[in-house]
This record gives sequence, C-alpha cells and structure tokens, in this order.
Amino acid sequence: MAIRGIDFTTLSLKDALDLAILVEEEAQERYEEFAAQMDQHRTPDAAKFFRYMVENEAKHGRELSSRRVQLFGDAPRSVSRTMIYDIEAPDYDAARAFMSPRRAMEAALASEVKAHGFFEAALPAIKDAEVHALFAELRDEEVLHQNLVKGELAKLPPDSAVSDEDFVDEPAPQ
Amino acid sequence: MSTTGTLEYTPKDYKSDLKPIWCPGCGDFSVVQGIYRALAAIGRPPHEIAFVSGIGCSSRIPGYTTAYGFNSVHGRALPIAQGIKLANPDLLVLAAGGDGDGFSIGGGHIAHLIRRNMDITYIVMDNQIYGLTKGQLSPTSQKGRVTCTSRFGSLENPVNPLLYVLAYGAGFVAQASPTDLAGMAAVIEEAIRYPGFAFVNIQSPCVTYGEEGQQIKGLKAISESLAGLGHNPADRLAAMDLAQHYGEKMHLGVFYRNPEPPPTYGDLVKERQALLSKDALPKERILDLFIKK
Ligand SMILES: Cc1ncc(C[n+]2csc(CCOP(=O)(O)OP(=O)(O)O)c2C)c(N)n1
Ligand code: SF4
Ligand SMILES: [Mg+2]
Repeated sequence: MAIRGIDFTTLSLKDALDLAILVEEEAQERYEEFAAQMDQHRTPDAAKFFRYMVENEAKHGRELSSRRVQLFGDAPRSVSRTMIYDIEAPDYDAARAFMSPRRAMEAALASEVKAHGFFEAALPAIKDAEVHALFAELRDEEVLHQNLVKGELAKLPPDSAVSDEDFVDEPAPQ
Repeated sequence: MSTTGTLEYTPKDYKSDLKPIWCPGCGDFSVVQGIYRALAAIGRPPHEIAFVSGIGCSSRIPGYTTAYGFNSVHGRALPIAQGIKLANPDLLVLAAGGDGDGFSIGGGHIAHLIRRNMDITYIVMDNQIYGLTKGQLSPTSQKGRVTCTSRFGSLENPVNPLLYVLAYGAGFVAQASPTDLAGMAAVIEEAIRYPGFAFVNIQSPCVTYGEEGQQIKGLKAISESLAGLGHNPADRLAAMDLAQHYGEKMHLGVFYRNPEPPPTYGDLVKERQALLSKDALPKERILDLFIKK
C-alpha cells in the first residue's frame, strides 16, 4: 500500500472522489489479472471467485463515478493512478498456483482489511468536512465488503486436510 | 524515423494477446505492468521497439508486449540487443532477463555494453534463483541458501548487481520492486530516456522457489526510497556506498544518473561514418575492397 503526492490536509471533495474511483479501478484490474492467472493454470473455482470480486469492485466504482458526475460533471481529473498503489488491490504475490477458493477469499479479505486501514489512517489529517465524511463512509464500506467476503467463506465446505502447497513440485535439478 | 509524440498511447497498447504462463503471484507480472506504463509514458509506437531477452521465466517477457520481441538464447540478450541497435539505431531497444541470465552465463557481456555506452535499457528481474529450471542456486542467491543444488547451504557470496554495473561505469543505475509499481514504471521510463546504457534491477519475487523474506511482505520490510533518504543521483560514490547494502536493504529509485552523459556508441559510429563516407566506395563496388591492387 503506497501513496505519492497526496496531501490529505488540502484534498478537495472532487479529488477525494476521483481517488476512491481509482482505488476501485486498481482493485478491479488486479482481480481481473488474478482471474486470468487462474484460468491459465486451470483453477476454475478461484477464477470464479476473483471474477466475483471484479464485479464487486466494478459496481463500487460505478456508484462512485455517478456521484462524481452528479457533483462535478466532467471537470478534469487532477489525481492519477501513479498516486496510489495497492490500496484495495491484493498484493501481486497473493495469488498462487492451484489456490483453493478459501485461499482466494482469504487474499481478498486481507485486501479489504488493508483498504479499511488506508481510509482509517488518512482520516485524522483530513480538514475538509465533506472529504472527512466521504472517507469515513468509504472506511465503513470496507467493513461491509469484508462481511461480503466472510459470507462467501462461510458458504464453503470445510477444508480438506490437503493443502494446495502439497501440489507444488519439489525443486529438481535439470 | 521515430514518430514519438504524434500519437497518444496507453499501457494497454503494449499488452499482447499472449497470456503469461508465469506461476500465479510471480513478481514478473508486476514488472510487465511497469513496462507497459513506462512505454505508454514514452509514447513510441510498438513497432519502433525491439525487446530482447535471454532464457528464463523472466525472459518470456517480450512476448507479453506488442513490441518486436526476441526470446533468444540463455545469457545472450545483450549482444543480440546490441546488434539490433547498431543495425537500426532509430529503434528503442530494451533487453531483459533473470539474475542467472544476466549475471551468470551472460555476466561477461554487461561490461562491454557499458564501456561502449550502448543506448539500451537493460532490466534484470532479480529473484535470487533459477526459476525456470526449478530452483537452483543463482549468482545473486545469498550465502547459506539451501536449494536443490546447494543441499547444505551455498558456500558462495552473491554477486552484487548494482555495484557490478556501477563499477564498470554504467551511466544510469536504478532499482525497483513490485512493492511500488508507480515507482517501478517511473524508473523504467527514466532509464529509457537516459541517452546510453541504463540498468534497472528489479527485485521480482519467485513465489514458487523464492524464500519467505524475498516475497513482497519481506521486501516491504527492508524497502527505503533513495529520494526519501535525500540521495543525490549525480553522486556516483554515494551511489556505490548505498549499493553495498544490496541484499540487506532494498533501496528503491535512481542510484546514479550521469549528469553529463558521454556520447553513445551509436553517436560515435555516426561520426565515424560521416568522416569516412566521402572516400567510401559505392555499394556496388564494395567487393573491390577485397581485391589486391
Ligand atoms: C546455454 C544454456 N545453459 C543452460 C540453460 C538452462 N537454463 C534455462 S533458464 C536457466 C536459468 C534461469 O534463471 P534466471 O536467468 O535467473 O531466470 P528466472 O527463471 O529466474 O527468471 C538455465 C540455467 C539453457 N537454457 N541454455
Ligand atoms: S518459477 Fe518463480 S520465477 Fe518462474 S514463473 Fe514461477 S514464480 Fe515466477
Ligand atoms: Mg532468476
């Protein structure tokens, strides 16, 4: 999780909304990448879950975008993707070959916790009341997202004793 | 001729239809994203870019871009890239590969590209292991590392890629990692813009054969931004001092950028051609050179 060139003390509502949209966009793209990696490695259940996350992130992004349009029309963006990194997107190494749906869900849950931490940590520095309210709302939404993933986890049958690590080849000289 | 600046490109324009077969979670997924972003920022059309690699998991990378690519021979990315640059100096030439490709079998080539100051950007995806061949010791593996070729722990000190290229006089040296993708894209872009040989070491975790401490969480714990430390990238000795900490700390950003880049090999060749061309034979009489007068 990293940010660059963002000053929370002077952040405007338009920029805050745009940042939130970019955070969702980044997460959506990362889940798309993970789903494609799972397809490539014939892991359809994890791929299906990552696609479910793609849909979720896209939906949140659309909701935020329509609020942005309502409030600010098509006024140009002054924040960019280079300013944020891995806020709600899972880390690149969170995917694994042949990962179980449980492990895929745990990776998503960890990134929702990470995103909650981001909004929570930013709040004390924010001076503008509307931006503060937006960030508090986004922080609380992360709890809802966590519950969503926890709900999916609860639907899973109990894990088998076999871990997906057991399927990774032992190193062998070639 | 370059058509830079006539069209706007997005990272997606550099993404090919080929699906990466890297293990899910491999650090190289982030490196290819960093390259897409850097290329979009540079804005050269894909057909004006030649991307050469050696052999290894990381060396598959040219195929995942829309640039002209050559997944060549283990350790030979640099001489091939050099030939391409000399034959067609207008191309933007990138070379990439693994730590094994670059610092074991191909280690001897780096010095020569540096001393010639070839205008090539060389990206090494350093995972401290031979990934493709399933986890043998690599030249950057830490001493004591247990692998299938070092069952009782490696007895060798690792090569320090940063000091290696700095000592030979590389004009641009930087380091990046998937812990900061924007930073990675920025240093790759800067390396491409540097007029001469530019080296970017990317700590790219191997999730299958790499060690726990070399995964993203471990890398985050030892990361330090060079800009944040107030490092002056024009100071080569300070860069060498910082580079000594390779393996213990992960300094991210530009270690060294020569403030007065010397002419590239391509510039000198052009000069020499201009000087000699007035007495040169026309193409159709070129064989006369070999006839004894
Ligand atoms: C001439 C030659 N020697 C050895 C090999 C076997 N080989 C293929 S890739 C490789 C090393 C790969 O390690 P690295 O370059 O670090 O790339 P990675 O897979 O880790 O990205 C070796 C030894 C080969 N293909 N050709
Ligand atoms: S073996 Fe390692 S370097 Fe190769 S694709 Fe898998 S994770 Fe990446
Ligand atoms: Mg390697």
